[in-house]
This record gives sequence, C-alpha cells and structure tokens, in this order.
Amino acid sequence: MSHTLLHNVLIPFLKGAITVVALGLAAGILTWIERRLLGRLQIRKGPNRVGPQGFFQWIADTVKLVFKEDIVPSRAEKALHLLGPLLLFVPAVVVLGLVPWGPEFTLFGVTTPLHAAADLNVGLLLILAVSTIGVYGIILSGWASNSKYPLLGGLRSAAQLISYEVPMGLAVVSAILMSGSLSMVEIIEAQRKAGVWFVFPGLIAFFLYFVSGVAETNRTPFDLPEAESELVGGFHTEYSGFRWAVFFMSEYGNMISVSAVATTLFFGGWLRPFPNVAWLSFLDVIPAFFWFAGKVFLFLMVYIWFRATFPRYRFDQLMALGWKTLIPISLGNLALVAIAALWGAAGLKVLGAVLVLLVAAGFIAVWMRPARPRSSTTMASPNVEVRA
Amino acid sequence: MSFLDRILLLDIFGGLKLTAKHAARKADTVEYPEQSREPSERFRGMFRLDEERCIKCTLCAIECPINIIYIDWHTEKNAEGKAEKKLDRFDLDMKRCMFCGLCEEACPTNPRSIWLATKTYELGVYERNEGLYLDLKKLTKWDENVKPYPGVDPDKAPVNPAKEK
Repeated sequence: MSHTLLHNVLIPFLKGAITVVALGLAAGILTWIERRLLGRLQIRKGPNRVGPQGFFQWIADTVKLVFKEDIVPSRAEKALHLLGPLLLFVPAVVVLGLVPWGPEFTLFGVTTPLHAAADLNVGLLLILAVSTIGVYGIILSGWASNSKYPLLGGLRSAAQLISYEVPMGLAVVSAILMSGSLSMVEIIEAQRKAGVWFVFPGLIAFFLYFVSGVAETNRTPFDLPEAESELVGGFHTEYSGFRWAVFFMSEYGNMISVSAVATTLFFGGWLRPFPNVAWLSFLDVIPAFFWFAGKVFLFLMVYIWFRATFPRYRFDQLMALGWKTLIPISLGNLALVAIAALWGAAGLKVLGAVLVLLVAAGFIAVWMRPARPRSSTTMASPNVEVRA
Repeated sequence: MSFLDRILLLDIFGGLKLTAKHAARKADTVEYPEQSREPSERFRGMFRLDEERCIKCTLCAIECPINIIYIDWHTEKNAEGKAEKKLDRFDLDMKRCMFCGLCEEACPTNPRSIWLATKTYELGVYERNEGLYLDLKKLTKWDENVKPYPGVDPDKAPVNPAKEK
C-alpha cells in the first residue's frame, strides 16, 4: 500500500466513518442521559427499566423508530421532505469533523492528527458557514410538509437563526482576535502560548456564544421552532419513524458540535487546565482527548440543566433579547477584546483578571447586601411511607 | 430589581441553583408495580361486606342516592327457634358507584358492616359488567379480579378508623 493512498484516502475515510458513528452513538446515549438527568432534576427517576439503570432505553427507542411506519403526507413535496432531515444532520457531522479532538497521535506506526477533517487555515469560517446550512433543513422540511404548523416552525427557525447568528459571529470574532488565527488547532495553540484559556478575557464572548448556541440548536428556552405546546411538533410535525429520529439525532449532534466549538474557542480544546503551570503537569495523566470530551460533556450537561430550569421565551422576547441585548453587548465586547488583543498577551491576561474580579466583586456585593424579606416557600415533600 | 441583579443575571442563576438542589434529592416517585404507597388513613378502597355483622335492615340500599344496592331476604327459623333474616341477594353495582359513602353512614351496626377499609385500589378489570358488578359472593369473598392490598387481610379488614372515632 502506497504512502499516499494510506494518508490521503484510507485514514481520512476511516476518521470520517468514526466521526459519523461516534456522533450517532453519542446522540443516542445523550437522549438517555438527558432523560435520566431531567428525571433527577424533577425529583423522579427517569427511564430505568431497560438494562442497567435503563441504559438500553435509547436502543429500544431506536429499534422502535426504525420499525415505525414512515409516513409522507400525500400533498408533501416528496424530495424536499426527504432532504430536510439530512440537511440538518450533515452539517452537525461536518462541524464535529472540523473540530480537533486532540493533538497528533501515533497508532500502528502511523502519525496523524486526532481530527476528522484536515486542519484548515479557514477552519472557523468553514464551521460558521456549514453550521448555518442546518437551518435550511428546518425551513425546507417545514415548507415541504405542506402543513401550517411545520411552516410556522420553519419560519420561526429562520428568524431566530438570523437574529442569533450576529452575536454568535461577533463572539467568535473575539476568539479570532485573541488568537490571531482562523485555524482551530492554532486557536488552541494560541491559548497554550497565552497561558490562559480564552474564557477569561473572553468571558462575555463565551457567554454570548453559549446563549446564541442554545438558540441556534433550538434548545429550551429557545425551542420556538419545535414548541410542542404551541405548534404540535413544529418543523417535524409531519415526520415519523426514522426520519423523525434523524431530526433528533441532528438536534443532539448540533448540541455536541456547538459544545465542541465552544470548548475549542474558549476552553482550550484538548489542553488541561492552566497548560503552562508546571506543577499541574500530573494532570497530563488524562489523555488529551478525554480533556476535550470531558469539557464537551460538561457543556451538554449545562444544556440539559437549562432545559430543566427555564420556561420557553415568547417570540417577541426572543427577538428583543437577540437584537436589543446580545448584539449591543457583543459589539461592546468586541471593542474591549480588540483593545486588549492589540496590547498583546499581557493585555489578554489583564482583561481576563479585570473581568473575573468585576464579576466576583459583583457577586460579593450582592451576597453582602442585607437580605430582603422573602415569602417563605418550603419544598413540600409527600413524606409518605413506601413499602417494598 | 436592581441594576446589579440584572447585569449579574441573578434570577437566571437563582433558577439554576434551585434545580441543582433538586438533583440531590431522592426521587419522590415510586416504582409502581413493585412498590406502592400506603393509602391515607381515610381511604377505604374496594367494597367488602361483613355478612355476620349485617342485620339485613336495607338502610344502605334505601340511603343510596342512585339505588345501586339491591337486597332481597327471607326469614328462617334458626336452631334456637327464633326468626332470623337470611340474605337471598346483596348486589352492589359498583360501576355506577360514586363513592359518596352514604351507605356506610346509614349502617346501624357497630362496627359498621358495609364498606370495610380494605385499601385495595387495583380495580382494573377486562369486563366491566362482570368485574364491577358485585354480588354477595364477590362482596364477601373476592374473586380473582381483586387483589388484596398487601398487609391488609381481607378477611379481617378493619372498619374505617377515621369514621369510627
């Protein structure tokens, strides 16, 4: 086997296949994790019947969905109805492929970066471009269903994406300013060189990115395109069987992608905490990939935590939050980060320290404030005897 | 709400803190078919008649606002030569019962003989007319349709304690 064939065909193909399979599996397992965690947060148990702790629930659900009848409405636009879920799923996979999962590694004498696609010098730009394609999946499936609820869901999704793409883009620009590169690997290397994760100087940018990310993946509290209490099922009302499952896989896939990009831009990707502090080098015992995966997992848990906590925004509130709050903040933040980045690595450290101190001072001020009388609300427990 | 509260998103973090607290709590739900909750003291559940205590006065049938209790009886001489009422029929059409409890209040025996506190609430049946039309046999000895509540002996079902006080 020639060297070119191995490096240009076989390994990329293998890594691509692993990415797709990993995303599918992760999306499945994430449904189970989400239901269990939501159960815990809502003082109930969640699915715990199939397998240990209900772990095989997601397999049972997948099997059920595969064998369900695949209904296409008779007046639907058949080709686009089929294309919709795929258009939503493929960008999630591509984005995950563009994010580096770890540094170079050697296996069976072959050295290759732990990175499904190549490390492009315009990686971040491509991620922004590709992830935006996903909304076509929602709009097209909403329109092709030829039904009013999906259409409304699709339109809501379009409006939401346009509103939240702006603060998200501006938040990403702060990371580019801090690192001076569009390449994902170089952004991580810049964080190693700066000796500080970009989350500290980019505290506001990270917040903006994460909120916009929740909005773009149509998760609670911004799940207006689905809005099962208003629009039946939103854009996937007319879908059933495995096509519906693809929608859910892409929702979880998009969550994973947004978390992976947030990890790379603001939390140092595969780097351990404080990558330049020598005495913390014992943390290198954990391989780089697991640092990356662990950070992504934490973000996903925060997504689920949000879902358990916040009710859905009204549509005008959603628009007001995007245009009147997030975009002005992101513009101000951009100016702040630009000044600090002009100053260099020292500027980033100073900005990070100032932001962290300001937030800490704010919380201390709130905490020291004399408590206002509050209505006494107690958590009522049924306290009923349970017999085995 | 002060400016500081808004800029630090105190309400958002307060909400997150509240849900996080609940994650540490034990689940309040019960694995139903394997475990079940003890019903409250006032809960009586499935009907059960004590034929020994019943004096066949038919007051429960008279009191019933929708007339779903049917009682027929005749008189017999017992071993001591005294006249004694014997039940021919004691039917309770439970599928129409609204559980108002008036039959129990009308019962003159002490302790009361109709509707003992059996606490059985698993009353699902496949055929309504068969399962929920209770005749004398079903009222005194349940058939396979009714599972006794665990821990409560259906033959020694106590009279509703809350009512007897």
